[in-house]
Order: sequence, then structure tokens, then C-alpha cells
Amino acid sequence: MPVVDVDPDALRGLTGHTEKTDEEFKDDLFGLGLEFEGETDDGELQFEFAPDRLDRLSVEGVARSLRYHYGDDRGVYVPEVNDAEWTIEVDESVPDERPYVTGAVVRGVDLDESALESLIQLQEKLHATMGRGRAKGAIGIHDLAMVKGAPLREGAERSITYRGIEPDGETFVPLDSNDELTPAEVLEEHDTGRTYADLVSEYDRYPAIYDELGLFSFPPVINGRRTEVDTESRELLVELTGTDQWTIDKMCTIVCYALSARGATIEEVEVAYADGATHPEEYGPELVRPNLEVDEKSVSHDRIETLLGVDFEPEAVVDCFERSGLDASYTLDETVTYEVEIPPYRVDVLHPLDLVDDVGRAYGFDELEPRYPDVGTVGGRHERTRLEDAVRTSLVGLGFEDLLNFHMTSGVENYDRMRLEPGTDLLGGGEPVEITEPYSEEYTQLRTWALPSLLLLLEGNTHNAYPQDVAEIGFVAEGDESENTNVAESRHVAGAVARRDASYETAKGRLQAVCDDFGVELETPRTDHPTFIDGRTASVVVDGESVGVIGEVHPEVLVEHDLEVPVAAFEFDLDALR
Amino acid sequence: MRLPERQLAVLEAASATDELTMDEIATETGLKPETVTGAAFDLRDEGLLAVTETTTEIAELTDEGREYVAEGLPETRLYRAAVDAGAVDGAVSMGEVIGRADLAGPEVDIALANLPRKGFGTIDSGELTVDPDADPDADPEAAALATLSDGGSVDDESVLDRLASRGLVDLAERTTRAVTLTDAGVDALMEGVEAAETVGQVTPDLLASGEWADVEFAEYNVEADAPAVEGGRKHVLRRTADRVKDVLVGMGFQEMEGPHADSDFWINDCLFMPQDHPARTHWDRFALDVEPMEDIPEALIDRVETAHRDGWGEDGDGYHSPWSEEFAREVALRGHTTSLSMRYLSGYAGAELEPPQRYFSVEKVYRNDTLDPTHLLEFFQIEGWVMAEDLSVRDLMGTFEEFYRQFGITDIRFKPHYNPYTEPSFELFGDHPETGEEIEIGNSGIFREEVTGPLGVDCDVMAWGLALERLAMLTTGAEDIRDLHGTLADIDFLRNAEVSY
Repeated sequence: MPVVDVDPDALRGLTGHTEKTDEEFKDDLFGLGLEFEGETDDGELQFEFAPDRLDRLSVEGVARSLRYHYGDDRGVYVPEVNDAEWTIEVDESVPDERPYVTGAVVRGVDLDESALESLIQLQEKLHATMGRGRAKGAIGIHDLAMVKGAPLREGAERSITYRGIEPDGETFVPLDSNDELTPAEVLEEHDTGRTYADLVSEYDRYPAIYDELGLFSFPPVINGRRTEVDTESRELLVELTGTDQWTIDKMCTIVCYALSARGATIEEVEVAYADGATHPEEYGPELVRPNLEVDEKSVSHDRIETLLGVDFEPEAVVDCFERSGLDASYTLDETVTYEVEIPPYRVDVLHPLDLVDDVGRAYGFDELEPRYPDVGTVGGRHERTRLEDAVRTSLVGLGFEDLLNFHMTSGVENYDRMRLEPGTDLLGGGEPVEITEPYSEEYTQLRTWALPSLLLLLEGNTHNAYPQDVAEIGFVAEGDESENTNVAESRHVAGAVARRDASYETAKGRLQAVCDDFGVELETPRTDHPTFIDGRTASVVVDGESVGVIGEVHPEVLVEHDLEVPVAAFEFDLDALR
Repeated sequence: MRLPERQLAVLEAASATDELTMDEIATETGLKPETVTGAAFDLRDEGLLAVTETTTEIAELTDEGREYVAEGLPETRLYRAAVDAGAVDGAVSMGEVIGRADLAGPEVDIALANLPRKGFGTIDSGELTVDPDADPDADPEAAALATLSDGGSVDDESVLDRLASRGLVDLAERTTRAVTLTDAGVDALMEGVEAAETVGQVTPDLLASGEWADVEFAEYNVEADAPAVEGGRKHVLRRTADRVKDVLVGMGFQEMEGPHADSDFWINDCLFMPQDHPARTHWDRFALDVEPMEDIPEALIDRVETAHRDGWGEDGDGYHSPWSEEFAREVALRGHTTSLSMRYLSGYAGAELEPPQRYFSVEKVYRNDTLDPTHLLEFFQIEGWVMAEDLSVRDLMGTFEEFYRQFGITDIRFKPHYNPYTEPSFELFGDHPETGEEIEIGNSGIFREEVTGPLGVDCDVMAWGLALERLAMLTTGAEDIRDLHGTLADIDFLRNAEVSY
């Protein structure tokens, strides 16, 4: 879950509530779903919250939410925006993998250290969340005074260009460096470059943003040092590139709202996609950004009442909307429906239901009285788990300790240490279902049988007293292309008797008892299985069908598992007892 | 009269005139002294014997006492060395005499303290003069030690006390019990007493023959520990799962079941989890190296894709995330059992469901987490949902309050939360029944229309999930989940886990 660092003094300033203590803020924010996590080294408060309200990733957004919460603000707010002076030209050389761009110009900025830090934090947090680690969207913020843009097109005044370049087609001095590097060198030599190299290393051409003087941004990796923002910067250029226009527009909007809250003025930029450049289908080749359009959705009064279980007067609902930073109007008809306006920084409203949630939060979910639903249904267990349970009871009655082992294992445990080979007809010899990219050598596949788990457990318990009679009824799986999932899943019954006097007979007596419990006929014709001693191994044949194996475990397997007592064991398919 | 054999033996050995000690009776009867004592008290209780107790003080040499018997008391050794050094004629230096006496460590102080006390000589300014008339051989303390060493007894209490205070003897009290026949005892013997047979075990013969009525059963030490018995037990997590299932069945829930390996479609896409959601990256899921799933209802795929791309309903918006059918068909281990809920709600798992319905499962899920005392790669998820017309948040709250109440968790709190698949959503918090500490006990909400709509469900469905291990750790007090679950489990821990019900 995202964590936002909040400077409490900035929060007091931005909310206008200079009288609030840190403790009061913590309580108030808990009510909004921001949980206090701790303090940073320089005294900022850290809050964790669910990743829906990404507009709260900076102190400015948190302050805005609090002002609505306190009733200082009501309804939708959209900052004033001045007309565009700058254009972002999109060249057809832009890499196909990252075609979209957006941006804004921000003037009259007055950033102190704390505000600058907050801006950088917001940028990084947006990268981590909506930007999916900069893959989907990346933000570059520049000191506009350092950007030189001669007009390229008639009607436009100043411009920069988003284009694609050869990996070694240009040099620039990136942030935190003194060297002229090519983009390819940045990916190899610069710390930030190495961190984000995977995002672009497969591209034929690298994304680059140019002004009259040359390359000043290498999205999504790093900006050039020439346009670096500091506390002296008064005018900013915000540019975003990405794989989805909506996503970068929303990220841009959230940045603009934060800067506007600091007193800056937002100015539009034009985005002009050249012929041959991929432009966003839903918007066309010429855009004016940032997109601060208010969205509208309608929701019925009835739906709000049934979902929250509360009767409302329409005015009370409108009040809840306004306290959530939304606007709502309605007509009193037979059925009341609200037309709700949603400000552009909200990225979490996908459906009218989300508006009902806002009403619930504004009303206070704490206020709702729980009630047990007046709905009658009949309960019951699934036949399969009832069978499993009955067999488990039977095994426990025979003195077996019931086990619960992992379903994931390794080929070494599942086959090698049992003297077994994959791809045979023997019990346990089925084709492994392997994990595509295993994270650990211990868990690389699903187990094809349960006995290796029992032996592994015995291996870990040689310090405990014997006898150790252990059993498990558990999941096993093997590759099977006749299944829709291509995985044949089944439940096996496995039992192992580890004691000084364990023999074939010890195991068979118990197996016989289980079969008797379930009224099935057991036969044990002689067979061979490498896990067991030749001549002391049999097939488990239940009602004429071969379903498993029983025998004395081979000394090589015992020694492999550091066992110093004989083990007799059986394993068979649970369904045989049906 | 009939008496058990040993009581009869003791009665016959006792005399009406002479007091015989337990040891004497034991010698005579060949029984163990403790058996004789037990029988004697039984006979006393029946009025046949009188038991008298006498207490005597006995003295035993300590290790130090025994050492001095062999080597002589330190003061005696000092005296003799001084005589040898000519101290009879005049004062000699202590250092010289001590060296000569071969005294070491604490023995020096002992000798210096006791020599003047016994009048063997005097010590003045580091010089020693001895009394030529003193006779260490007549020293009563040395004599008493020698007597005790030979097994004799010493009557002079002042000497014994002195030796005890020097730590050379231990004084203890010994109680000796002796018995005499009472008049009733004499009468009984005159009339004749028969031995009653005592038997160790009830046998089939004894029962069949009716002989059990005439025998006495040998007594056991019923307080002694018995050899350990290791019966089998159901796994503690299974027992917790059983309890959960009982509660849910009682609340009208039916159990679901379905595949562990499933397509991402059922695991995530149906749940309206965007395909670029962080939880769907390969870091968090266990993708399986098998062919993609072929059979998924085409119309359902289309509806789910629509929800992801364009949203659901007139005012719905999609995710602005990439969506590919290829990814949806990939097979992975389920990260939650909500995949089962999707299969049931869509009707794919069986019949089309009409409201009202309640369903649950307590089944395994797989997540790539860091292994630690509270996290495993595989754990059990309790999953439940209720499908009905016009369900409200209040119904959700009422249902969960009832469920958790069954586990002693009352006063649960609903913290508004965000899940991609439910709205409104709540994290559930409650107080630990033992420690009172606030703990997260589940995640819940009402399924979004983007979830239920494509599945063909046009009423409300509220759902919740919780890790079974979390409940089990609460009810068993286990602090490390790895003790319970998996091949690292300790069989002793499983055998000793307290039964909960």
C-alpha cells in the first residue's frame, strides 16, 4: 500500500488549520483511511493508505481532503487555466512502445525546500503507483527558464519535440552527473540509468525530448541537468510520456492540482502528433493539456439507500456528495437520480457504485447499525471434503498423526531422493507441473505424490520419540493435456509407519483396516517400485482397480533421509474409497 | 477371618508381649520393610495390632569427620608437631610448627582455635607453648569420632553437639516403629485367620469362574506416571478448519470446490483485477509451465474484456490498462479461492444460481511471500459470500459480526478500504480474545458490478476472506506458523497442541 510523507507544518499551512496538533491530524486522517505508520528522520509523518485515492500522494492532496472533511471546502474545485504558449510536437520517430505524451506549464511557482521535496515525492509516488514503475507513465519536471523553444509551426509560439533517437545518437549531461553521455551510456554508467534500463533496453529507438538547444530529457529514465528544478525556479515545464494517454493525463492533473495548491498558475500546452506518429485514438492528433475536464456520472437515490441500508432525504445525499468534493444535482421525479460531477484528480471513480461509497464515507460507515440479513439458505459440506474427513478420522483412529504438507516441492525431493524417475507409470512418476519462474530451489513444481513429504517430515523429526506413524490426505498433481487446466489434480491417501518393528505387515494391516471401514475390497499383488524393497512391494488394488502402492521403504531411501528405523508405507488415490 | 496374605504374615509374626520392630518383622516374614509397614498400619486400623513409635537421635560422621579419624584432629596434629619442635621447653615460632604439622588451608585456623580450647597449650604473639601434661589420646572428641567410625554410639550429648557444631558429625532423628498384638489380635489368631488370595489382574478365568468374589486385588500406586501413549490426532489446522466449516454450515453456507491450478481468467480477470496490477506480475504469482486453458466460455470472456476495457453499465469506465486474452488463459496456482466464487457465480461450476445463496470454502491458496513466522507460500483461505437481492452494507456487517462472535471475537470494527473487486470494501478489525490487542481479521466488501455483471449475476453479492492460519494462531497460541504447516513441522508440537473445539 502507498505511503505518503507529510510535513505537519505544511499541512497546517495548506489546510489553514494552524491550531491543529500532530495528534489531531493523525486522528482526523485515520477517519479518512490514512493510517499513521511512523515518522521520518526529519520529523515528517508517514501515512499508509489504500491505493484508490492516488490524489493523496502528497501533502497538498492530503490537505485538500482534510479541508473537505472539516467542511472548509465543498463541491468540485477546478483551478483556472491560462491559454497555451508552448506546444509539444510529437515526431513520427517516437518509439512505437511509448507513443504518448502530455504536459503543462506552471508559472509563478515559489518552492521552498519542503515544497520542492513534496513535489519530488509526489512524482516518485505517482511513478510507483499509476505509472507502474515508470513503464506506463513517467513524469519529467523542468525549469522552464532553461528551455529554449523557437516556434516550429505557424500559430504556435514556442515548442519542444518528443522524438525517438538512436541509443548512441546524441549526448547530454544527465542529472547527478558531470559527463556528456549518450542514452545508451546512461543505461550502463549512471545509477538511475541502470535502475530503469530494463524499461527501454529492448527499444530500437530511445525516447527523447528536445528543445532548440538539444536533448534535455530522456524519458522514462532521467532528465538532463540543464533544466534541473531548484528552489530558485519560478516557471516549470511538466512533461509526461507513457503507454496510455489517460494514465499520463491523470498523473499530470494530480501534479497540476498540487502545484496550484501552492499558489502557482497552470498554463495549457498543445500536443501535436505529426502525421505518421501514433496518436491516442479517442482524442485525435491535436490535444490541449492538462485535461481538467469534470466527469459526470448518474446514480439513483434508490441504489444509495439499498446499498447503505439507510433512508435518506435527497438534500442529505447532496450534502454528502459536496463534503466529498463532488457536486450533485437532482430532479424530484417518481424516482430521484443524481447527476454527479467528479473532479479530474479522482482516478478511482469507474462506476456509479464508487459514488455510493463516497456517500457512505461522508455519512460515516460507523453510523450504520449491523443487521443479520433476513435470507434463508441451507448449508452443507461438499461431498469431497466429507470423504476426506471420514478417511482422516479412520487413519487417526489407527494411530496415525495427521499431517499437512506443502503442495509445492522440488524434483530432487519428489523423484531423486525417492529413487524415482519422472515420466513413468509408477505411482509418483507422473510428469511434473513446474513453476515457470521458480524463486527458490526448494519449490519448483507441484508434488506428484505425498510420500516424499512424509519422508521429509520424518527426516526432520529423528530427534523425537518413536514410533512415528504419520499420514496425510492431500493434494497431488501431474501434467495431463486431457484436462482443461492441463493439470490433473487428485487427492492421495498416504501413510508411513516408522518404528523399530515396522514391516510390510504393519503397513498392510492398517491399509486393510481403512479399506474395511469403507467397504471396499483390497488386493495386493506383487509389483516393483524403486522406492520400496524388491519382494516387499505390492500394488494397492481396490475393487479390482490398481490405485496405489504399498511396501517397505528401500534402505537407500531411508539412509538418504537420515532415518535409522525401518519405514513401511502406502499411498493410493482417495477416490478409490468412494 | 480372612486377611490378605501379607497382613496375615505380619499378624502371625507379631507378639503380644514383646515389641518387635518393623525391621525384625521384615526379617522374619521375608517381606520388604515398606510392605510390612503398610500391612501393619492396615492391621492397626482393624484393631488387631498396636503400633508404637520411638524416636532416637543418631549421629553420622561427615566427610570431614571421617578424614580426621584417619589423620587425627588438626589441633592434635599441631600439638604433636609442637612437642617435636621443643615447645614443651619454651615458646616456638608458629610458622615453623605449622609447617612441621603439615596443616593446610582451613585446617590451620581449626587447629589454632581448638588447641587452646582443649588446654593443649597457649598461643601468644605468634609463638606457641604447649602444656607437657596434656594428653591428646584422652581427648573425648577424638574418642567419640573413633567410636562413631567403628559403628558404635556415643551417649555424651555435649561432645556430640560440639562435634556437630564443628561440622564433623550430622545429627538426625530416627523413628523406629514397633508392633505388639492387641487383645483382638490375639483373639483373632486363636480363632484362626485364613489368607485371602491376592491377584494382580482381572482375568477372563477369574470372571468366568466367579472366583473374583473371593480374591483381593493387589494395590497399585495409582499416583505414579504411566508410560506415554501417542495416539493419532487430526492436524490442528484441520481442526480449526472443521470448526470454521461447522459455523458456516450452521449459518446456511454451502461448500465450494475447484481447481488449484486455474487460468488467470478465473483467478484475476473475472475479479476485475487489471492485468497490469502489481499483484499480477510474475513476482507475486506462481505461473505454471503448462499450455494455456482452452475451454472458457467465449461470451463470458467477451463480457469480462468489455468490463476491463470500457467499464460496465452506461456510466462505467474501464481501466486504461492493457488486456489480452492470451494472458487470461495462462494457467497459474490460485492466489485466492475467489476463483472458486467466480466459477460458482458464473454458473460454470454447476447450475446457474438464483438468489438467495450462501457459499464458502476453506482451501489452499498460493502466494509468493517472504517466509516468516506469519507468512507461508501456501496457506488456507476462508472465503465466503452471500448472494441476494438488495444486500446492504448493514447486512454485511451483521453477517460478519455473527461469524466472528462464534470465535469469541466481538465488537468488530469495519474500516473502509479499497479492493479492485469490491465497493464498498472494509477491512475487519477485532480484539484478540486473550491479549485484547487489535488485530486485522479479514477483508470484505460488496462485489463491484464489473465483477457480477459479466458473470450474469444481477443481484448483490457480498464476500469476505480471511487466512485460516490467522484464526488458528489465535486459537492455539502458536507463534510460528512453520511449526504447524509443512514438512518442517515438529511432530511433538503437533502431538502436544491443545485441542480446541
